[in-house]
Amino acid sequence: VKGKQLIWLRRISQGFFLALFLFLLVQTRFPGDIYLEYSLAFTTEQDIRVGYPVTFFFQLDPLVWLTSLLSGHVWIKGFLWAVGVLLLTLLLGRFFCGFVCPFGTINHMAGVLRPVLRGKAMIDANQKKGSQRIKYFLLVAILLSAILGLNIAGLLDPVSLFFRSLALAVFPALGNAIKDACDVIAGIDIKPLNMLGYAAEEIASPIFGYGYPSVATGWFIGGLFLVILFLNRIRPRFWCRSLCPLGALLAVMSRFSILRLEKDPDACTDCQKCTLACQGAASPGPGVDWDSSECLLCFNCFAKCPEDAITFRFRWFPAQNRGPDMGRRAVLGGLLAGVSIPFLGRLDGQIHKVSDPRLIRPPGSVEETEFLKLCQRCGLCMKVCPTNVINPALTEAGMAGFWTPTLIMTLGYCEYTCTLCGNVCPTGAIAEISGKEKVERPIRIGSAYLDRGRCLPWAGNGPCIVCEEHCPTSPKAIYLRPDVQTGEDGKTITIQLPYVDLKRCVGCGICENKCPVKGRPAIRVIAAGETRSVRNQILLDI
Amino acid sequence: MEDIMDNPITRREALKKGLCLSGSLVVACTGWPVHTPSEAWAVEKNGGFLIDGVGQSPGYSVQELTKRVFDAAGGMGKFVSKGDVVVVKPNISWARAPNLAATTNPDVLEAVINLAFDAGAKKIRIADNTIHNAQSCFALTGAGMVAKKTGADLVHPRSSLMRDMKIQGRRLDVWPVFVPLVEADKVINLPVAKVHGLCELTLGMKNWIGGVGGRRNALHQDIHQSIVDLARFFKPTVTLIDAIRIMVRNGPSGGSEADVAVMNRLILCNEPVAADAFAAGLFQISPESVGHIVLAQKQGLGQFELSTVTQTKVIL
Repeated sequence: VKGKQLIWLRRISQGFFLALFLFLLVQTRFPGDIYLEYSLAFTTEQDIRVGYPVTFFFQLDPLVWLTSLLSGHVWIKGFLWAVGVLLLTLLLGRFFCGFVCPFGTINHMAGVLRPVLRGKAMIDANQKKGSQRIKYFLLVAILLSAILGLNIAGLLDPVSLFFRSLALAVFPALGNAIKDACDVIAGIDIKPLNMLGYAAEEIASPIFGYGYPSVATGWFIGGLFLVILFLNRIRPRFWCRSLCPLGALLAVMSRFSILRLEKDPDACTDCQKCTLACQGAASPGPGVDWDSSECLLCFNCFAKCPEDAITFRFRWFPAQNRGPDMGRRAVLGGLLAGVSIPFLGRLDGQIHKVSDPRLIRPPGSVEETEFLKLCQRCGLCMKVCPTNVINPALTEAGMAGFWTPTLIMTLGYCEYTCTLCGNVCPTGAIAEISGKEKVERPIRIGSAYLDRGRCLPWAGNGPCIVCEEHCPTSPKAIYLRPDVQTGEDGKTITIQLPYVDLKRCVGCGICENKCPVKGRPAIRVIAAGETRSVRNQILLDI
Repeated sequence: MEDIMDNPITRREALKKGLCLSGSLVVACTGWPVHTPSEAWAVEKNGGFLIDGVGQSPGYSVQELTKRVFDAAGGMGKFVSKGDVVVVKPNISWARAPNLAATTNPDVLEAVINLAFDAGAKKIRIADNTIHNAQSCFALTGAGMVAKKTGADLVHPRSSLMRDMKIQGRRLDVWPVFVPLVEADKVINLPVAKVHGLCELTLGMKNWIGGVGGRRNALHQDIHQSIVDLARFFKPTVTLIDAIRIMVRNGPSGGSEADVAVMNRLILCNEPVAADAFAAGLFQISPESVGHIVLAQKQGLGQFELSTVTQTKVIL
């Protein structure tokens, strides 16, 4: 095989997996083309489900599998894909980084399309650096932290990070921009333009989200993504070389790779073209040993070498690759961080004492300790939620739960029979429940309470039953009692006052969402009463 | 869709704030067939009819009953002409399966659309500014499937389709209106009959709350006048109240089959007040005890005395 052919093979593979990733990301939504056959509603329970295997890349990701196993002692759905990737890495090295990883591809493109470094500067940048040990530090910290019960892999796992960045920052931001543009065009009083605006929105909405999608901390997620892309100007594939914990895991596994780069020192003219094109800073050049653990298998060196001094060959025996240059300090530092993070994360008392009232987890979420062992903070539940209520937490879940999902009822509400978030969760942090189970058990995510000082009828500001009207349970958890009030003018009026029956309330938050008292509604939902917690309860009988 | 309620097209507002102040000017600019309320509301004093369709035989076809009811009124051709753009306004505001009677029966919806297409309608739109998110509503209520089967357009409610218009009511002056409902040649109001915590009942006139955007949840502070204002603004060609299954308690959202009574009735009427008054009877509620029905009569929208309309019974 010629080097050029291998490069094209890699590009095709990269393009395919990036396209697949984007396709599955877009499909992580309320399936708009699936309408339930209504005649069946009279006889059977039907649940709306996402029609594509949207968790595929998470199943492919060994770090997701390993941390879920170490932390939550759970074999996640489809983990055999990840096992397969690890086994192939043992044979081939970091093929995942070079051929599959969509985030690697994006970084690759960012570094290659308009490289800022040229000539000697690029050759210098592609020399192996001490900073490439940071990824081992992060890997050790993540794995140890997982063993000790806090799974933070998703913060830095490339699949989670890429999905989160696109789904919670790039797509919603574009969606807002497109929506703005469509509204302006639709607002022009020229019929064809008008129609164009409507049509454009019709096409864009299913991809970028309906209306104005909003994401708490979206600016931060997007900012971090841009910074990571920018780092490629300092060194190509900076993220993959120095920061990626999955890359580090695969690097460790690639020690015994039988696919090896072999150098012919006699043919080499020391032109450095291999180093100039090297994506992983894996020492392809003469005089030093090739680093199988750093090599991203881009095959650039193979293709660029004018003297054919570099070849890739299968060598069954004996495997003589250089071990991963982890660095003792990186490992020790990782161990220290890995011990510290879980214990520091629990210091806020969220787990052991009282949970933040704002921390409302999606329906079907497992108990908080278990949740923090499994949640990858990937954003799938947030992307799929049709009402935009699930958002990445900033402080609600404490440091340990940064960017885990929480429900913000002023942005959306939990649709009474919808269970899509559990349907797409890749690790089971949100269990897959049926709509029937959610309604009949019921699965509560919190409890509503009235703020009588704000409530219009309670505070003497006239009639309003909006919360009662929207309350989805049967019988309603919000009920009305008539009351005679004396107005400022001395006249008496009969008015209906809302009350919340905590035994019936499931915490869906539609009351808070629809309350006419904007900003800080007169009826609000707190996490207390959530089914998943034994401790976080209000009533004696539950 | 909360975002619609929060963003009643501010840019457009800015673009032609002046125009919006004068409703007739807006109409002139857009060329839409918007009725100005004063001239549009000519109560049909003599031509009032009410068809009471009853499905009695076991396993009768709801679609067939719908057809019979329209036939009794002279056929769909009486309401829809060849080449018309027809908009159907069902109540599909809640993401509920049709067995829970929170939304218009999809069989009725399907039959009405098919009849209108048969009568020569060029385009039929299904339009409702839903309360729950529209996608869930379309999927669960059956409206999505109906659109797919019949070829009608299901309009996704969104802020660009909400346009400030002169309601010129006693309570509502300028309010964002869901454009497809006024952009049509013919309007068929297709509500489901339910009880309601504040309005007592939600029938035909109340259905027009789903025809507007903006801060809808503030309308409850003067709900009866708001309903009457909107019922005056949206003048439907005909109203068909779906009472195949009605919600007798826990309305308007329901959520359990225990809240549903199977009535097997359809009420077709060209008099919105009479239609609501008749449907109130199905709940054993006197129209005089329903605030907006009384108010509608008082303000000249029609009579709730059923003697003012010609009643016909259709039994299947």
